Amino acid sequence: MGQDMDRTIDPITLQVIGGALHAIAEQMGNVLYRMSYSSIIRESQDLGAGLFDLDYNTLCESDSTPMHIGSIPGYLRGIEKSIPKDSWRPGDVVIHNHPYYGASHSPDIGIVMPIFYRGELVGFSANTAHHLDIGAATPGLIIDVPDVFAEGMLLNGLKLAEAGVRNETLWRYISGNTRVPGLVMRDLEAQIAAAELGVKRYCELMDTYGRDTVEQAAAQLMDYSERMLRREIAKIPDGDYTAEGFMDDDGRTRDVRLPIKVTVRVRGDDVEVDLTGSSPQVPTAFNVPFEGSTKVACYFAFRALLLDTYTNQEYIPQNEGSFRPVKVTAPLGSIFNPIAPAACEARFNQIQRVVDLIIKALAPVLPEKSTAGNAACLSFASYSGVRESGDYWVLIEVNEAAMGGRPHSDGPDTIEELMRNTRNNPLEDLGMHLPMICDRYEIRDDVFPGAGKYRGGMGVVKSQRFLTPGFMTHESDRNEDAPWGIFGGTDGVPARVRIHNAARAEEPRDVHAKFSGMRAELGDVVSYLSPCGGGFGNPLERAPAKVLDDLLDGFISADHAREVYGVVFKPVSNGYGWGLDEAATEALRAQRRVA
Amino acid sequence: MIRVGVDVGGTFTDLVLERVEGARRQVFTHKVASTIADQSIAVVRGVVELCAIAGVQPDQIDALFHGTTVATNIVIERNGAEVGMITTRGFRDILHMGRHKRPHNFSLQFDVPWQSAPLIKRRNRIVVDERILPPDGRVEMKLDEDQVERAAELFAERGLEAVVVGFLFSFLNNDHEMRAAEIVRRVLPEAFVCASSEVVNTIREYERFSTAAMNAYIGPKTKRYLDNLQRRLAGAGVRAIVRIMQSNGGISTVEQASRNPVGLLLSGPAGGVIGGRWTGAACDQRDIITIDIGGTSADISVIRDGALTIKNPRDTEVAHLPVLVPMIDIDAIGAGGGSIAYVDSGGAFRVGPKSAGAEPGPACYGKGGTHPTVTDAQVVLGRLDPEHFLGGGLAIDPALSEQAIRMHLAEPLGMSVKDAALGVLKIINNNMALAIASNSVARGIDPRNYSLMAFGGAGPLHGVALGEMIAAKNVISPLHPGITAAMGLLVTEPRYEFTQSSLAILQAAGAAELAAVNGVYDRLKEEAAAQLAADGIPPERQKFERVAECRYVGQGFELRVPVPDGPFTAESAQEMARRFFAVHRTEYGHAFEDQAVQMVTLRVIGSSESDTLMLPMLETGGRRNPSEAALYARLTTFDSGETIQTPRFDRMKLRAADVVVGPAVIVQQNSTTIVPPGYAATVRKIGDLVIARDMQEG
Repeated sequence: MGQDMDRTIDPITLQVIGGALHAIAEQMGNVLYRMSYSSIIRESQDLGAGLFDLDYNTLCESDSTPMHIGSIPGYLRGIEKSIPKDSWRPGDVVIHNHPYYGASHSPDIGIVMPIFYRGELVGFSANTAHHLDIGAATPGLIIDVPDVFAEGMLLNGLKLAEAGVRNETLWRYISGNTRVPGLVMRDLEAQIAAAELGVKRYCELMDTYGRDTVEQAAAQLMDYSERMLRREIAKIPDGDYTAEGFMDDDGRTRDVRLPIKVTVRVRGDDVEVDLTGSSPQVPTAFNVPFEGSTKVACYFAFRALLLDTYTNQEYIPQNEGSFRPVKVTAPLGSIFNPIAPAACEARFNQIQRVVDLIIKALAPVLPEKSTAGNAACLSFASYSGVRESGDYWVLIEVNEAAMGGRPHSDGPDTIEELMRNTRNNPLEDLGMHLPMICDRYEIRDDVFPGAGKYRGGMGVVKSQRFLTPGFMTHESDRNEDAPWGIFGGTDGVPARVRIHNAARAEEPRDVHAKFSGMRAELGDVVSYLSPCGGGFGNPLERAPAKVLDDLLDGFISADHAREVYGVVFKPVSNGYGWGLDEAATEALRAQRRVA
Repeated sequence: MIRVGVDVGGTFTDLVLERVEGARRQVFTHKVASTIADQSIAVVRGVVELCAIAGVQPDQIDALFHGTTVATNIVIERNGAEVGMITTRGFRDILHMGRHKRPHNFSLQFDVPWQSAPLIKRRNRIVVDERILPPDGRVEMKLDEDQVERAAELFAERGLEAVVVGFLFSFLNNDHEMRAAEIVRRVLPEAFVCASSEVVNTIREYERFSTAAMNAYIGPKTKRYLDNLQRRLAGAGVRAIVRIMQSNGGISTVEQASRNPVGLLLSGPAGGVIGGRWTGAACDQRDIITIDIGGTSADISVIRDGALTIKNPRDTEVAHLPVLVPMIDIDAIGAGGGSIAYVDSGGAFRVGPKSAGAEPGPACYGKGGTHPTVTDAQVVLGRLDPEHFLGGGLAIDPALSEQAIRMHLAEPLGMSVKDAALGVLKIINNNMALAIASNSVARGIDPRNYSLMAFGGAGPLHGVALGEMIAAKNVISPLHPGITAAMGLLVTEPRYEFTQSSLAILQAAGAAELAAVNGVYDRLKEEAAAQLAADGIPPERQKFERVAECRYVGQGFELRVPVPDGPFTAESAQEMARRFFAVHRTEYGHAFEDQAVQMVTLRVIGSSESDTLMLPMLETGGRRNPSEAALYARLTTFDSGETIQTPRFDRMKLRAADVVVGPAVIVQQNSTTIVPPGYAATVRKIGDLVIARDMQEG
């Protein structure tokens, strides 16, 4: 910074303002999730909040769910189509969720307030949150619908309040078009409270340091983040790097696989992600909005790979600078850039896979920063029903999965990976207010994780039982394409979805990963078994003590340890049953290496 | 009456002895190096030495109060017990999955502490058949007692020292948990055994199990430490009753602390906050923000209208693991005297969180540290005089500070050594100020109505700069900044909390619900009274406070609301709803007055007034810059960049109502208070300094 960051603002003031901006975004996020009602926001924290300048650059964003981080500029650009910059008034509150005007997908409703400082528009305070139900064809989530109009209410840059006066008609319209107005309307209130806080704090910051200094500092902080990312991109050899995979199906036409192809072009300190070669758009909601989702996924991939916050000590401000070096290309009419009015609500599994394939494509040149194949999916389950009172209950639940092995550590088990990072719902909290009961929530014990020097993470199994008849929609994928092993590691395990009825002594039957509006009977139990991650490196190099740990902890069997890892155990009498047979392990491994 | 307070920190063990004989009161203080391997060695050494200083025999001490970091260190160093768990079939891995959120958003290589260093390994989590169902706690499947017995026998064979029983929905009905715990205690009579509902009887399985697991993990070792302490004290002839500081700011008996060690995780810093409140009262201030600045970290807390801020139990975590026990809201950040300043690879100027600690320490210690620290910046700016550093007990070399700052900061950044040193302080002060803001402004607390109390040895060096940044009303430098926490131990009271989850809608509570609430409160109060009685506190000195954690129906986060006295009636429920709206508005800026409010967890806090510490009153001086206390003058650089010939004053020679006008530096053993130009420090009746803008200068 001595060379080029202090030309206009001294490095000390820069740190001070940078810290203040970050604190504002965090406070906005905190108010939003603590005040909100639906579990998808308050427990899962499926939200994002931040401040934006007049050019819609992100000045700061809350550390919540990565999918939301980086999506709000798209909302602002979309809103400008209905509200030009000179039409904003102090006290306006704009609501927006149109996926063809920059929204991430229609349930992620954006709330935007203009920031006026001494009578002039200086920026925007905005946040997005995933709403439980926006009146779509089926409660909560949708898959098999014909077009974007079946997604529910499309709110395209509408003033929910104008110059501080609430638009009661619009408020009543929204309330009347969701299945759960008691939750959705209160969550909107929480979003407005968070946006108001951002407006107030940004003005206070300008009071303290002056508008010019704050804006200059914000510009320099963006340059700093950009420079940090570019420096890492420049270290990758120039070239085109490609990786491919496929999705199960579009939720309607079963057994037709959807190819996903990622080409990463590195040129100096620029990088392009080209999704050409991926599936054409599909006739269901299994498409991805380009501005609000496809691009955001690519931005995420490079930050996580190159500016990993665990291995890098320094805090890199979360702002527009980290998006600038990354160009994203997806042909119009493809699954990653659909043409209106194609539905595009169910987009998470595809973008998870984009990130995973970027990692795979670059792994040969970035082995120290990469992972083996991650679960790279999302099980998004919507359970619902009608109470005796006639009111709907709706629950949207995100089921975790697992990561692939890594250069120096095992893939984490049962965790939110890549673009998602929500929190689960406490089972006891759900049990107190929903007619459902969880029968099982554990690590999968029917399969072994991908083997390697560092093994893949173990997936989850979760079984939810309906205590009344109801409906269910499941948005998921990866029943077919297992997460890959890498550098000698073996493949992980694909997902399974199973249904049985608890009252009848019946075997669970396997179903597709995606289903829409299924009518559930009393006692139906839906079990989701997530993928397990791929292994990283040669299993014969795994420390025998770790293999023993995995055996004692029930992740693998003794036979699997012998066959795949070349590790041999002997019985011991310390209560744990097995100990290492070091001599036999050494001999077996030597024999394997020769073979 | 002789009482002793002992606060153990990472570097030093601080001690205070108070002797009261009729109207005569004396206070003695002492400091010894901490003994990390077994804290009790330094505790006993310090007590014996302090007795010699005070001219009393160890067996004359009546009561000894102790703040300890033993429990916290076990968690941080992960060297607790091998623990077994018996849990509900189908839910073996609740502790492994946590809330399934990863600790880093933008990372692929991150660590998951609850998986890589679990409190209970998967191999030692055994499931048994049993099932309790919500919302009423009915039994769907009876507990299989044979399975419990077999699990306990296996744990015995494995030599486990501690066992947790954690079943789903035990907050609704803990019959199965209690029965299973009984079986385990029979099979493993020597083990540390607890059921999750015994440790914290609240909703949310991961948080409850985690709290119980933590209790068991630290249980055996903490108990051994407390046993050692009592044995060593007895060996040294100390026959005093021993009381331990808890995270909630109250004290507890050794027996209770051994049974429920999870309540000790903030035992160390809690004393500082209590000491801060007490100092505030001595200065007639009831609204205080405390910041305890040590070598590697700073602990921040807020005292509102004389009351400690207790953390919302949803937010209490230790080392990334939820621990649902009442704790003072203390926010620790990685900023202190030892924080290292550097220029990062992208050219940004950074300070902390890495610290030089006590070894090698700041560059000026000459013990091999070459990186510039916050302390080095103070030395370079002439704010810390070598002859007064730790009372002159540690030789420091200002040339080494200057060299470190020049090489690592000034030259790479193209600035002068002075500007670089000022930058170090500005950045570290800003980090602390932001943390203070997120604990105050962000929660609707206006710092302009608050005093900032900066203590810990380094506190008064930063006090005025921080006070200015957060716009505090004034700044307090307590009489003994370095031992405020130990003094706090002598002004605390016994405090026990008992909880039970019980869900009821306030605005719609019928007779049955009101009766249930009253029933729960009566039972909790009985438990609290029994505990206080066991401590030897007679009924007339027992106090009880009732709190309910409430939320809007459908929300996921509760806020604490005080419950009106007397039987819980429909009117008190309405009053509770009004109080909840007010709290909600303070926290979030909004309240929905037409919405139903739900009580989630009921809590009774039993406490008792205790003796307080009285320091001798100073003679009244009423002087301005008293020459009797003046030492010498030296060049000192202030935050404005001005370098001024600045007089030093000896704090021990100041009298009540004396005023020291800045620029001035007030020195004492172990601490230095900076009074910049334009500020004046007024000495209060027992020697605390209140620093504010100097009005006389106009």
